[in-house]
Amino acid sequence: MTRTIAARQDVRMTASARTAGLRLDPRAKLYLLLLANLLLFFHVDTRGEAIMVTLFLLPLFVAGRWRTGLRLTVLYFALLGLGLWSDAVTLTGTGSGSGGSLIGMMNGGTTGAGDATTTLATAGHVAGLLSVGIRMMMPCLITGAYAFTTTSISEFVCAMRRMRVPEAIVIPCMVVIRFFPTIAHDYRQIRNAMALRGIAAGRFALVRHPVQSLEFIIVPLLMNATFVSRDLSVAALTKGLGIAGEHTCMTVIRMRWFDWAFMAVCTVPMALSIGGVL
Amino acid sequence: MSEPSFLSFRANAAGGATVPPSTSVSDAIIRIVDTSFRYSHDDTGAASDASSGTPTDTTAGTTAGMSLDPANVDATHPTEPALSHVDLTVRPGETVMLCGQSGCGKTTVTRLLNGLIPNFFHGPLTGTQVVCGLAPGGSDSAASIPIESYVPLVGSVFQNPKTQYFNADTTSELAFPCENVGMEPDAISTRVDDVAQRFNINHLLDRSVFKLSGGEKQRLAVAAATMLGPRVVVMDEPTSNLDASAMRDLHDMVAALKRDGVTVVIAEHRLAWCADLVDRYVRFADGAIVGTYTADEFSVLPAERLESWGLRALDLTPYRKALRQKMRSGSERTAEATRTEIDAPIIATQGLAVGYRRAFRRDIGDLTLSGGEIVGLMGHNGAGKSTLVRTLCGLQQPLAGRMLLHGKPARPAALTRAGFLVMQDVNYQLFADSAREELLLGLGDADDAIRRSVDVPDAAGAPQLHPTTLGEQADRVLDELDLLPFAERHPMSLSGGQKQRLAIASAIMCGKELIVLDEPTSGLDRAHMMQVGALLRRLADRGKAVLVVTHDEELAALWCDRIIDLDESLHKEAS
Repeated sequence: MTRTIAARQDVRMTASARTAGLRLDPRAKLYLLLLANLLLFFHVDTRGEAIMVTLFLLPLFVAGRWRTGLRLTVLYFALLGLGLWSDAVTLTGTGSGSGGSLIGMMNGGTTGAGDATTTLATAGHVAGLLSVGIRMMMPCLITGAYAFTTTSISEFVCAMRRMRVPEAIVIPCMVVIRFFPTIAHDYRQIRNAMALRGIAAGRFALVRHPVQSLEFIIVPLLMNATFVSRDLSVAALTKGLGIAGEHTCMTVIRMRWFDWAFMAVCTVPMALSIGGVL
Repeated sequence: MSEPSFLSFRANAAGGATVPPSTSVSDAIIRIVDTSFRYSHDDTGAASDASSGTPTDTTAGTTAGMSLDPANVDATHPTEPALSHVDLTVRPGETVMLCGQSGCGKTTVTRLLNGLIPNFFHGPLTGTQVVCGLAPGGSDSAASIPIESYVPLVGSVFQNPKTQYFNADTTSELAFPCENVGMEPDAISTRVDDVAQRFNINHLLDRSVFKLSGGEKQRLAVAAATMLGPRVVVMDEPTSNLDASAMRDLHDMVAALKRDGVTVVIAEHRLAWCADLVDRYVRFADGAIVGTYTADEFSVLPAERLESWGLRALDLTPYRKALRQKMRSGSERTAEATRTEIDAPIIATQGLAVGYRRAFRRDIGDLTLSGGEIVGLMGHNGAGKSTLVRTLCGLQQPLAGRMLLHGKPARPAALTRAGFLVMQDVNYQLFADSAREELLLGLGDADDAIRRSVDVPDAAGAPQLHPTTLGEQADRVLDELDLLPFAERHPMSLSGGQKQRLAIASAIMCGKELIVLDEPTSGLDRAHMMQVGALLRRLADRGKAVLVVTHDEELAALWCDRIIDLDESLHKEAS
């Protein structure tokens, strides 16, 4: 009996592996997401962050998401390079006691000593500000992209149920995930409709009248969301979403050795960085 | 939920058998006796066909007697009963078609059968309803059966393919009902494979649901509805968004269900697609059953009788013949166009190719659209109809070729100013707080090109938009489309047909010359389809070029002046 179950599962597994490569358990994905948030919270230094990000990028490639993986890798390391460059410029460029501080820069500007090094320093500051800001979000973006692109709704729900998350949280989460693609589609339709009516149609209309434009987009979006949510609830109810008792999942959700191993591997540099060892 | 039936189902399902759980001894599988129902106020939006862009109201001057339209009554007086004293008995294995005009109560009956009434749609319900032996415990309505008990017994297919699946990939969607009742993973896999085999949809497995066509989505929905081996399958207007070949696929699925002895109940406007499968027709009007016919009795009814009942045709042969005629004239159009030089084309294309850079490319034969004519655009799902329409409206860059607006090459932005697209889902197109404001919206601050010419015919002299007369002009346009009584209403509170007309009114107000409608009659009964047709004619008569994207052969045959068939041009290319 168990033998045949395993055999069947293997068939399914290979089927899903064919399309998506090797994937972590949803719970491991959630753990990575948690780690990424802790990374932001504890303000880990750049070296620790780079190590963590490298680790976070790995599963994307293993899952066969080459395009997403490469894009995120390039973005992160470009931001990292930009940040390091701005550090270097601002530290060496101003030279004076005020270091790379904004006040020093302002002084430089008001006293009229605006030579090449100061402008370079200004550019360095702006670049540094932007790059660090975006870069700090990257771990969350990477783990989030991984979690959302490689997990089916049913896997996610199954994992949540295994973790004993109450139904009152599971079902709204499920609906929200289901809604994301709908919203993207609706948004495009509404923008088309606005273009046809000549409402906020210009290239910069959204920037010029942000509040008005937002209203034009949000109102139909919400109206449609109510219709869609009613239809979805009806469909889900007739398919037994509300049935009490244990729900199963066709794709097998199991924590395997590499799930544990990867979680451990990611935790170690994190802990070391927070502890100040690394 | 009722534990025993659930468990017995589970045992069956685990064994891979489709044997339904035993029910109480009764000849009928569905027994509805003296049932009345009234939607409570909150649910009326759900009760009428609001989601489908359905006109549920009257267009003056079209069909006599339309003022008694039940749908209209339904929309304006939500407390009208949806069902009154309905008796319906269905034997196991029967295929029953519920027909009647919009708002006649057939959808309400399907909701009784799958337990959505009284569990999801609330309201006072009287009478007895027994489905698959599930009888409420006494006259007390509080003791109604929970919807969970219906899940393994009744499968449901709904109208809109877009909003009835919950999962992102097809295999999970099929597995979803099984997962919810707690089947073992290996049993679910077996079941998915069996069902895919049975309905011949193996090629649909392991795909993204968002990438399926409407027809494929609907086939998936039927397959998903049968995952738990139900005894009854209920379909609520399953074909309203489908083309002819998708309807054939659906027909084959219903045939397979019928062979396996499943009871199928279909509520539908289009009657022709499954005429050979239906055992019994039940005709509804005003929430009551007004006639029951066997298939033989129904098929000998004269076509005029069906028309007078507001029903779609059972036999599409005459319509198809007329269509072929119009398609031929459509392809001979170029010769004709040079002959009649009165109507200079508003839009013409030359060597146009539409599509998306990487994914899709379709070459379109040169076509012209002139003011005063209604042109139908037909072709199977995926033939490129919507891509062509988007290109004509300037919402998308053409891949090759050019488009002429009044004989001059036009950029997409100019086409967007000249054309208007009435989307299948008009809810996206209404932005303002009231119908009148909807027409005035954007006119105050839009650039001059948009508000260039409003051609209200009875306006004296050259119609020029002026802030002080804008309101009057808006009222005139509203009046012309029978919307004046609703001028102060919020657009979202209007019925589907009123919304559709309001979108068109906004296009007229902007002085659009090309009006494109995307499936304006999906899910409409004959009477409302005729109203839409008459509306198209009125638009054409005031000099607009009207292009209708449609699968509706009846609409195309009765109202279109000529048909552009994208499939045909495809065949020509191949040969």
